[in-house]
Amino acid sequence: MHSQKLGWLLLSPTIVILGLFGIFPFIYVLWVSFHSWNPFAANPGMIFNWAENYRRLVFDPQFLASLGITLTFVFFAVVSELVLGYILAQALLKDFPGKAVFRTIHTLPLIMAPIIVGSVWKLMTTPSIGIIPYLLRSWFGYDLNIGQSAVAAFTVTVIMDIWHWTPLVTLSLIAALVSLPSDPFEQAQIDGAGKSQIFWHITLPLIRPAMLATVFIRLMDALRTVDEVLMLTGGGPGSSTRYIGVHIFKEVFPKTNYGYGSAISVIVLYLTIVVCWLLYVGLIAPRVKRG
Amino acid sequence: MNYALKASALALTLSLATTASPAWADFWSDAGAKFKGVTLHGVTESTPPSNYIRNVLAPEFEKKTGIKVDIETTSWDQMYDKAIKDMEAKTGIYDMVYIEQDIIYSYLARNFLVDITKTLKDQPDLKAPTYDDANFTSFADYFKDASGDLFGVPMEAFLKAYLYRKDLFEDPKIKEAFKKETGKDLKPATTHAEYTEIAEFFTKYGKDNGMELWGTTAQAHTGHPASWYEFFESIAPTFGVYNWGIDAKNNYAATVEHGGAMNGDKAKAALKYWLHLRDIAPPESTQSTWTETATTFAAGRVAQGLIYGENAAWIASDPAQSKVVGQVGFALPPLEPGVLDDAKAGKGYIGYYDGGAFGVPVTSKNKEASLLFLEFIGQNEVQPDWAIAAPRITNKATFDDPKVKEMDVKLGGFYTMLKDDGKLFAGAPPYPFHAQVREATAPIFYDILTGKIGPDEGLDQMAAKAEEELTSLGYRK
Repeated sequence: MHSQKLGWLLLSPTIVILGLFGIFPFIYVLWVSFHSWNPFAANPGMIFNWAENYRRLVFDPQFLASLGITLTFVFFAVVSELVLGYILAQALLKDFPGKAVFRTIHTLPLIMAPIIVGSVWKLMTTPSIGIIPYLLRSWFGYDLNIGQSAVAAFTVTVIMDIWHWTPLVTLSLIAALVSLPSDPFEQAQIDGAGKSQIFWHITLPLIRPAMLATVFIRLMDALRTVDEVLMLTGGGPGSSTRYIGVHIFKEVFPKTNYGYGSAISVIVLYLTIVVCWLLYVGLIAPRVKRG
Repeated sequence: MNYALKASALALTLSLATTASPAWADFWSDAGAKFKGVTLHGVTESTPPSNYIRNVLAPEFEKKTGIKVDIETTSWDQMYDKAIKDMEAKTGIYDMVYIEQDIIYSYLARNFLVDITKTLKDQPDLKAPTYDDANFTSFADYFKDASGDLFGVPMEAFLKAYLYRKDLFEDPKIKEAFKKETGKDLKPATTHAEYTEIAEFFTKYGKDNGMELWGTTAQAHTGHPASWYEFFESIAPTFGVYNWGIDAKNNYAATVEHGGAMNGDKAKAALKYWLHLRDIAPPESTQSTWTETATTFAAGRVAQGLIYGENAAWIASDPAQSKVVGQVGFALPPLEPGVLDDAKAGKGYIGYYDGGAFGVPVTSKNKEASLLFLEFIGQNEVQPDWAIAAPRITNKATFDDPKVKEMDVKLGGFYTMLKDDGKLFAGAPPYPFHAQVREATAPIFYDILTGKIGPDEGLDQMAAKAEEELTSLGYRK
């Protein structure tokens, strides 16, 4: 009994912080999402409007378009980061000249603030002064202009995200790979298994929990990408990179449509939980059951 | 004895003279003494005038009063975001906020700001002898309420002017080529047809001669509000479409059907004119906001363009940042017939008179100290050096200062234009729903820019969307 009280006492600062910065804001956003509230409307007060904001969402083509391109963005970015991150993790487990320097340079983007990443990529992709359009024109005769081409803008945002976040995947997977037991690998080699068989039947199943945890983190991050894209394209050209985070930002801040913006935020949170749950159920739960 | 008497009399006279000397000599230290230990926090957009406040005026004020001033200079949208959230949540983080003249009507509608006129009247001890509302230019009118009370001390004011390259316009070879091609003399355009002709000529000239040179700038970002503003605040008025084509006196009508002008023939002609210019502008134009058009001009990549005046000084005079120093000419924007007459008669305007002020949020915890700082930056005394560092004039006396006059020559007459023709330009319309209508219609505007939708159809949709948003906000009945 005494130890239980002490446990709660020790936990209480965490619970208070969680309540203040996690639970209370969430409840507040949920509360606002059931209201019509625009401080710059003729009536600036909060008006309870039942589930009108949620009903509106279903028929809002701009929201649906945003959601569609966000999911496409997340798919390309996260899958690429996972594949590239794994390859780099494997490479960094081996010794090669300049490994320490490469590892440091590779990790640098991770410590950069997203707004800086967006600014740097904007500079690098501006047609008149950017190094990327210059090289593409010199080497391939291709004129890159992310202010004109929706495909180019989308692709650049994906590449920027990969550049920024692959190091996180690499570091997570290095940690997972070095902690693997050596027995199954030695056994497989004695049994004459090939590299591909070892990868699919031993390495991948063993690092799956770490890989999935990394995917969850990246998935949640990618679904709420705002600063980098806002700085690079502003959501354009047109609405081609108006990802859901950018859409919420524009709805909530310049437009001050707090009620509707909150409803979108709640739905995005719900979708994130659903996607993560589906991945967990599909990839981890069956193994746990079998185990 | 006689000597001692004389010395005493002299000492008495000196002492009386010191005590009787004008209060203003020591006003700042006296006024500041009450606020010892206070640090004022301000947020503003990172512009040359704001940077001057942070780097020069704030330290000077601190030296005189002992009140510390911490000015945060950030991006335009961050500045709004932070200021509005602070005032909305009543957290009182900021003691001073930058008020662009297009947002003040929203702030006044929410009672966010301290009434400067009333406060100084009610607390005369706060009033600095060197500060007077009457010293401001007419630009201060944008920061007054219906009763004429001031809610912001103007700190930057400039025109979006027509800049052209004098070296190109005066080059005999180019003049001859232009004459040969068009049959006309090369001189700054006064009409849209002339401007287009010159722009087309220079774009072709650059291409033919292997030069990185185009005929015009275009602030045509395909995902940033800067392009929306360039059209509605700089281009549409020159075609006679004022106040974004929304008629406030007619139930905020935007569509032609209901009496508005957002999708009228003039607006559609203006948009087609501008889209054509965008197509012959440098490739970076589709990513250009207000800053990048200035950079493009300063890099010598265009022959002419509409540029925000806040950049005029460094473009025209700073060789560290500009390749066209001493080669910049200023003119009024090209106009459709009748627009200049409208402007002179006060029925319209020919372009954008941009700028901002510093105001005190009612949520500030240091209102009196903040007002002192606002008075400090509003005095005539600090204006000339500020106008040299950043091309802004908010006080009438600044125009006559010898240093400013000298700078005016370097700037090709920009200050003279501000003084003589400033009245022909106008700030944003007095709408409390500024950002809301812009954001509601902007996605359609961006679709027009990418060619996803035609200009006529796009403007029809924008006008309908504007009315829908105004209805939803409760302004349109």
